[in-house]
Amino acid sequence: MKNNDNIKCAAKRYIYVWEAPVRISHWLNFLCIITLSITGYYIHNPFIHASDIIETTYIMGMMRYLHYLVGVIFAFSVMLRLFWLFVGNRYASWHSFSNPFRKEDRKTFFAYIKYYTFLEKNPPHTLGHNPVALVAYIVLFNLFILQIITGFALWAQADPNSTLYALTSWVFSIASNQWVRFFHYLMMFLIAGFVINHLYSAILFDFKTQSGEISSIFSGWKPERNS
Amino acid sequence: MGKLDNILKEYGVSRREFLKYCTALSGTLALSPAFAPKIAEAIEDDNRPPVIWLEFQDCAGDSESLLRANRPTVAELVLDYLSIDYHETIMAAAGHQAEAARDETVKKYKNKYICVVEGSIPTADDGIYCCIGGRSAVDILKEVGGNAAFVIAVGTCAAYGGLPAAYPNPTGAKSVKEILGNKTVINLPGCPMNVDNLTATVVHYLLFGAPPALDKFLRPKFAYGKRIHDNCERRAHFDAGQFVEKWGDEGHRQGWCLYKMGCKGPETFHNCPTVRWNEGLSWPVMAGHGCVGCSEPGFWDTMTPIYRRLPNIPGFGVEATATKIGTTIVGISAVVFGVHGIVTAIRNRGLVRKVENEFEDNE
Repeated sequence: MKNNDNIKCAAKRYIYVWEAPVRISHWLNFLCIITLSITGYYIHNPFIHASDIIETTYIMGMMRYLHYLVGVIFAFSVMLRLFWLFVGNRYASWHSFSNPFRKEDRKTFFAYIKYYTFLEKNPPHTLGHNPVALVAYIVLFNLFILQIITGFALWAQADPNSTLYALTSWVFSIASNQWVRFFHYLMMFLIAGFVINHLYSAILFDFKTQSGEISSIFSGWKPERNS
Repeated sequence: MGKLDNILKEYGVSRREFLKYCTALSGTLALSPAFAPKIAEAIEDDNRPPVIWLEFQDCAGDSESLLRANRPTVAELVLDYLSIDYHETIMAAAGHQAEAARDETVKKYKNKYICVVEGSIPTADDGIYCCIGGRSAVDILKEVGGNAAFVIAVGTCAAYGGLPAAYPNPTGAKSVKEILGNKTVINLPGCPMNVDNLTATVVHYLLFGAPPALDKFLRPKFAYGKRIHDNCERRAHFDAGQFVEKWGDEGHRQGWCLYKMGCKGPETFHNCPTVRWNEGLSWPVMAGHGCVGCSEPGFWDTMTPIYRRLPNIPGFGVEATATKIGTTIVGISAVVFGVHGIVTAIRNRGLVRKVENEFEDNE
């Protein structure tokens, strides 16, 4: 953990919270998830009828190509963020995870739970992730990893002699082909549900704590606040 | 030139037809056509092993497939000549005579004969749900299969348990491999299996003295190494986004892709589109019906519903599709956070006023 404290912007009393790789990964994830969801839904249910729009086309082929290409970018983006868990600053590091064996961490965690359930008005201020949101992110990244593994496994089926298939075919010993497809599809909705939560919570805390929740994911800087 | 030559002559199969057949087999096995003479030699060779064909919990569909081997007709003759010493459905002998014939073959050709198994094996209640000559299926399979050179499980039931093993599996049906753990088992799933693949597997053994290369589900790679979807003649329509929307609609008549009708071609590994059925005449998708994925493990449990893309979730009612459940999840989260937002806005009215007042004070 880099402990030599926060880089401060002296004039405005701002703190550099989100480093470039965190922001890049965040926005890459955002773009990838949008593209993957749309193309993925199309692959599940090809709702555009080719002959309705143009005469000669390759629409499903294009959707699949886009889905695979963006899937690869997404995998790298998630890997970048996971890598930054170990080399990033204190806000990006795995050190910011709540430790359930520490009384202080438990207290902060439950203070936020109480805030979310209207039992408390003013939760303690945290500059990085709030501990409840952090749990959601851990769950989310596990969903990402599952999506990536199942996605690549399904892709690899095009060629059972490929290296990719050798790496991922163990998935089909756990669940049959059809259930892997099913979960790959259903997890998209879980992620969509998270996006709603994520947008709402970001706006909520941007307003509540006045600490630049929204702007900081563009700029990286958050105003210094103590309470 | 052995006895086969005479038999072929007797049935009116010319030498030319026989060699054509050998070339077709080399194609099925994904071998070079140069192998055709070697295949002919291997088939004509007199050291061909006898076959014991066992039937357990089955519909005799694979036997039917065997009997209708007709591309070219020599397939049947070859398999006949393989001296199927025991086959309940088609053998002339009955009762104790039949059992004696089987026991004799097992003794005489120990570790040399081929055991073909059709149907799943019930294990519940000591296997009483399938007994032949007073012995349970498990018992017979262990003896006959255990002493064979190798075992071929034909059809989805023998390969993966199939229909009898589908939920709730009252007879405790199991696949051949589950009973004969250590034995070399080759799975030729399908409902029924395509007899060309059986012939090719046997011929591969005659030719190379070893079973063909198998995938992780013990299926020969030459037959199950590619997806139906990737060899389908309707594939171009899939890529082009041209789909059948309703049975008998314009797209259906045009031969468009059956993906939206629940075709399981993208999930199924089989050589149906290339080997086909009935003298290579047609196969289900060519005939206008989507693939049902009959040769995949867990066929009955996970490939249903046949006319939908994804399985139903148990416990959510029959009609609960993945999309419905997914949109419900999204809807619930939208409602929960919407309500949370409204409550927060009401609770924060005081804060807003305070901030506004401070702002005005500062001015």
